[in-house]
Amino acid sequence: MSTTFNVVTSQEYKYGFVTDIEADSVAPGLNEDVIRFISAKKGEPDWLLEFRLKAYRHWLTMTEPEWAKVDYPRPDFQKIVYYSAPKAKIPKYASMDEVDPELLRTFEKLGVPINEQATLAGVAVDVVFDSVSVTTTYKEKLATVGIIFCSFSEAVREHPELIKKYLGSVVPATDNFYAALNSAVFTDGSFVFIPKGVTCPMDLSTYFRINNKDSGQFERTLIVAEEGASVSYLEGCTAPQFDTNQLHAAVVELVALDHASIKYSTVQNWYAGDKNGVGGIFNFVTKRGLCKGKASHISWTQVETGSAITWKYPSCILLGDDSVGEFYSVALTNHKQQADTGTKMIHIGRNTKSTIISKGISAGDSSNSYRGLVKVMPKAEGARNFSQCDSMLIGQTCSASTFPYIEVQNRSAKVEHEATTSKIGEEQLFYFQQRGIPTEEAISMIINGFCKDVFRELPMEFAVEATKLLSLKLEGSVG
Amino acid sequence: MTSAVVGSNLLGDLLSRPRPAEWASLREAAERRLAGRELPTTSDEDWKYTDLKALAELSSGPALKAAVDISSYLLPEMVGTRQVFVNGHHAPHASCSSAVPAGVRFFPMSTASEACHALGTVGEGAARDLFEELNTARFVDGAVILVPKNLKVALPLHLLFITKAEAPTVVFPRVLIVLERGAELELVEEHHGEGAYLSCPVVEIRVAEGAILHHERVQREDPEAFHLGTLKAEVAKGGQYHSRTLTFGARLSRQQPWVRLAEGAGTTLDGLALLDGHQVADTHSFILHAEPHGTSHQLHKCIVDGRARAIFNGQIRVAPYAQGTDAKQQSRNLLLSESARVDTKPQLEIDADDVKCSHGATVGALDPEELFYLQSRGLNADDARNLLTYGFAADVLTHIPVASLRRTLRHLVMARTQADSLGDLS
Repeated sequence: MSTTFNVVTSQEYKYGFVTDIEADSVAPGLNEDVIRFISAKKGEPDWLLEFRLKAYRHWLTMTEPEWAKVDYPRPDFQKIVYYSAPKAKIPKYASMDEVDPELLRTFEKLGVPINEQATLAGVAVDVVFDSVSVTTTYKEKLATVGIIFCSFSEAVREHPELIKKYLGSVVPATDNFYAALNSAVFTDGSFVFIPKGVTCPMDLSTYFRINNKDSGQFERTLIVAEEGASVSYLEGCTAPQFDTNQLHAAVVELVALDHASIKYSTVQNWYAGDKNGVGGIFNFVTKRGLCKGKASHISWTQVETGSAITWKYPSCILLGDDSVGEFYSVALTNHKQQADTGTKMIHIGRNTKSTIISKGISAGDSSNSYRGLVKVMPKAEGARNFSQCDSMLIGQTCSASTFPYIEVQNRSAKVEHEATTSKIGEEQLFYFQQRGIPTEEAISMIINGFCKDVFRELPMEFAVEATKLLSLKLEGSVG
Repeated sequence: MTSAVVGSNLLGDLLSRPRPAEWASLREAAERRLAGRELPTTSDEDWKYTDLKALAELSSGPALKAAVDISSYLLPEMVGTRQVFVNGHHAPHASCSSAVPAGVRFFPMSTASEACHALGTVGEGAARDLFEELNTARFVDGAVILVPKNLKVALPLHLLFITKAEAPTVVFPRVLIVLERGAELELVEEHHGEGAYLSCPVVEIRVAEGAILHHERVQREDPEAFHLGTLKAEVAKGGQYHSRTLTFGARLSRQQPWVRLAEGAGTTLDGLALLDGHQVADTHSFILHAEPHGTSHQLHKCIVDGRARAIFNGQIRVAPYAQGTDAKQQSRNLLLSESARVDTKPQLEIDADDVKCSHGATVGALDPEELFYLQSRGLNADDARNLLTYGFAADVLTHIPVASLRRTLRHLVMARTQADSLGDLS
């Protein structure tokens, strides 16, 4: 006997509206002139243009990766708009009053606090709309303790020495197909620099929004925490609902020096396409943190609920002795979504530790894969890894896979990997119903319990958002 | 004679060997599929951790008939139930089938080729490895085992493949096993050898409804040899296939078991690899839960010393609608030296929701607390280490049903882990 788990429609995508705003775009297509155009538009120094061109020339020799368990029409790179910016008279808004009210309304609708007076949470936000950063809040306040938090373009102008030193130092321009593409055409993003000994007094956040139908988003984030510094950084993203696929290929680089700590949290809610798999974002992202210093600490927490296709492996290179890498992930796929996500933990230094907790939930016709690498190099004396990857399947037509790669070259290492697969039991549901809790609510509670280990790593506001998001995404998918 | 395979002398040489007359169409088909193929390299995902460069340099002289002394390989339970193959040829004088129970057919393939229409049909549709194709194209002889309906064979059968390579050569052992409905059998398959050679065995197994096969596989090739084996088993409704693969020999070896489970069928696919020196041992297993309510259990252990490398790639696939599947997979690895290396990749691919699947992998050295405990009981550091190492291996050997084989292997493992100085632990 079995209850039929009917997959009906899920909650409509709330952020699917388009903002009618005049954009300053380059014609679709990619060639060296487009790259020169982007670079000139941003008033970049020559070395950065060189960096882009080198990446582009290398990209031309590369082929799209095919090893992931995702199936999608290959994007036509000549049809993508590589630069799209809200049209404005002044390149960067001097104060909030100058911001196009239409834009302000967009972010209000999204619930992103870009008006400092109106914020309650006390989170500093950098807002990126298509290809440019619109505004960054709390800059002055942060500057008093020496923290630099600004858009990437601004950092290139104001702090070129820092950018030159760290750009591409964790994810080389030639690293992989999408990282190379990003290195060639990235338009904006956020830059964070926490000087020696400073603990960032508030959470920093970037909000990404794709608005233009034909544009790709290629942002670049670079976070550097000097000796003893620490920061918590949040990233959120949405996009309008189009019936075409848009490409999002970001690169995020984190650098932690001695005793520094970076906590990077993402709630990814790009448009996932409709229930028949039409439209949605292709999310091909390279995120990597370098624990460069002794006892440095990098922690990735992600809640992946959006995008038609996700291809994303936030990783840690544990170079410094006693450094720690963490990866906490919840990935939820529904309808025709496909996600191939996980992490890489490269143990190089002595006594390095890493923890991987991955929770995959697949519903509908979706496919959800965990793919991870734990690599212990010969010199990584005393390395320690613990991985736990659990999958939950909802419905008969979804699929869940686990592909952990474990490579150990040091005998003092201790590496453990565990994975389980389960479904929401009828008996569990029956128990809840018996106690007067309706099915929908019961499922939401079971899912929250399943994801608890990850949610508790999220900053509070994000944890609340993530919990809500998961129940919205699954609403109506079980009955 | 075609030598369409490019890039490696080895492949060309092998295909320029005369094609045996039997199973011509099977061999032609394999040759067609081999056209244009080359030895895999480490850029092939499937061979990422196993480098065949050294194999490409192996020259392949003809595999000649040779006389061997098999007395040291004989097991008392199976004196009258053995077939022996030397350098790929059947060795009638070394074989003895006087005790094979009536009804069971256990004979060299070359004597009754027409009876083996099932050959080459197991796992049709699944990907065929290059070395499996080479075997099909050029195997000379092998064993056939047919057990009729409902016959439970009391005595275990013994299959011995011995390679004696005066000069470098390549041999292709071939086995076909068919258990009819409700039949039961225990089989011991051993590979021994001397010299530098490549052995490419292919074993095909059909277990019919409700039948049960216990299969012990021992690989003790020469330390200079290569062993690249394929096993394909199809288990019908309610049938069971239980195997244990023990890897001790060869400089480079790879086992590729592939098992398809029908409704309610079960399998255990255990393995132990004991490696030292520059040995490389790779296990690439695939278990397909094609229908509901199948059960699979896999425990794979590796003990790696010296500069040796162990590789495990275990894939479990649960097909859509294979509800009620119960799959468990464990990869456990013990590193004994500075330069030992382990690469393990357990994989689950699940397309059904009502399943119980789990896998786990561990890599590490001996637990210092366990070592301390044994020392606090009066063992010296070496003995403590050896005893724990032996203990790690021993649980794979515990359930070997053939007593003499179990003893032999335990002694072998004790000697290899130097636990024999502690007295007889078996």
